[in-house]
Amino acid sequence: MTAGQHPSRPGPRLRGPGRGAWPRGSGWGVWLVRQAALSVVVAVAVTLVWAQARPQYFWPRWVWFGLGVNLAVQYGVRWAVRKPRGRRGFALQLALSAVYVAIDVVSWALSGGGFFWPVFSTPVVAVALLAHAWWLQRRPPARERELAERVAALRRTRSGVLDVQAAELKRIERDLHDGAQARMVSLAMNLGLAEHLLSSKPEAVAPLLAEARATTLTALEELRTVMEGIQPPVLADRGLVGAVEAVALDLALPVRVEAEVPGRLEAPVESAVYFASAECLANVIKHSGATRAWVHLAHRAGTLTVVVGDDGSGGAQLGAGTGLTGVARRLEVFDGTLTVDSPPGGPTRVTMEVPCALSSPKTSPSSGTA
Amino acid sequence: MRVVIAEDLALLRDGLTRLLEAHDFEVVAAVGDPEALSRALAEEDVDVAVVDVRMPPTFSNEGLVAALAARERRPGLPVVVLSQYVEQLYARELLSSGEGAIGYLLKDRVGNVPDFVDAVRQVARGATVLDPKVVSAMVSRLGGSGPVSRLTPREREVLSQMAQGRSNAGIAAALVVTENAVSKHINSIFGKLDLPTATDDNRRVLAVLEYLRTEESS
Repeated sequence: MTAGQHPSRPGPRLRGPGRGAWPRGSGWGVWLVRQAALSVVVAVAVTLVWAQARPQYFWPRWVWFGLGVNLAVQYGVRWAVRKPRGRRGFALQLALSAVYVAIDVVSWALSGGGFFWPVFSTPVVAVALLAHAWWLQRRPPARERELAERVAALRRTRSGVLDVQAAELKRIERDLHDGAQARMVSLAMNLGLAEHLLSSKPEAVAPLLAEARATTLTALEELRTVMEGIQPPVLADRGLVGAVEAVALDLALPVRVEAEVPGRLEAPVESAVYFASAECLANVIKHSGATRAWVHLAHRAGTLTVVVGDDGSGGAQLGAGTGLTGVARRLEVFDGTLTVDSPPGGPTRVTMEVPCALSSPKTSPSSGTA
Repeated sequence: MRVVIAEDLALLRDGLTRLLEAHDFEVVAAVGDPEALSRALAEEDVDVAVVDVRMPPTFSNEGLVAALAARERRPGLPVVVLSQYVEQLYARELLSSGEGAIGYLLKDRVGNVPDFVDAVRQVARGATVLDPKVVSAMVSRLGGSGPVSRLTPREREVLSQMAQGRSNAGIAAALVVTENAVSKHINSIFGKLDLPTATDDNRRVLAVLEYLRTEESS
């Protein structure tokens, strides 16, 4: 692993390693090696020139010195900018300070020694470095702050997810208990009674059976409602786009659905975005007074974007009891974001963006994921 | 009447077989997966197929897909699709797979045996039978605006009944009115919606469904 590579960073909150990068590809390294080679050639050449005349003063050392300074500065800067962001500034100062002190010491030596005058400049450079180091350790570097923010976001969303899951499970349990389960009990009683009456009072059996049949229908309806809330079957069958189309068809409002999602999403993302879209469409019906709505779904460059719009009265906002806050929290779990653009008077556009991968494209509605 | 049953749950498959055999259907095959359904439809001379939407291998909508494929191979093959839940989306796909001979019903409807058996017979004869839930969603969606909003509540009920595939007599029985009253309502509906009058029941259902579909998407 080269010094310039960062560990891969999940999520959109952290910028990618390429952002605002200095030139630190391999190109500079190659260029530096060539310069070094050229410098050696030049150094040998001037030494040969000097050797032709052999004056008393060995002047080529100053040419060597100049070539060396050039290489040292470039090497130092290259070393520094390949440090991770946050430590880069300090590394740059360190490298240049080292080169500076070296220039002082070498030029002192080349000019024949004597009083060691670099003793004045070196402490100044050192103090400046110490000051920078002190300032850095006081203020956590940008990356660390980003990580701290991310940890806080993860902690918040994780507890949010657990709360939501616990509440969901409780709701499902209660729905089953009060609904289908109670109907089954009553069904068993009715059938038991019918069995008992069959020999003694057969004419009373028919209404009991009719009631039993009605009870099973109600129980089925209730089970269906519970299952819709857990995972709508059409979502499993047809994926996000099909399920959103299905929701759109069931609304008492014309909804145009346009989609460019050539494949299936991971099930948790699919489910979260589905419920988010359904909630947005429900809001359209409940609050906006719109005459039509539209949903655009597109997956591009690793991000799913869903826009739900309507021509209603506008004025929707996050946290105004519209359920949009819940939607935003649900998406935040997947590093997704939700933005609302809804000026008074409309139109309203709710934009959801979720970074996610796409599985292989589906060729027909039939090829469900096994 | 020769029928093929495709249903992966043995309990329901046996129940359907028993139920249909008790009503003078000849169950020529009762299968549990889409491949066996295709084989049965290819080998047997079948009047109608009763197919569950959810089947192996992925237990999503293989049954629906198999039914659509079978109708592509044999246009007009009567198919009754059963499901634990109904989607307008699927209803539309079935309706656009050819003219008529389509049934799309909640499994719950099997509980009302006479109605269910009647629906299978109607589909076998080429009629279209849609679950009331699908139809009411279609109708209520149009209720707010357009020509449908000019219908009286009674006429809307009649429209729903027509869209479900009921005959005049069936509508009259369901709404507890006379057949005469039903024809009056129907004439009024066709007038208000500007539909061509059709005497044939099936053509009428298709006209109504076509109207509901195109109005909605416009």
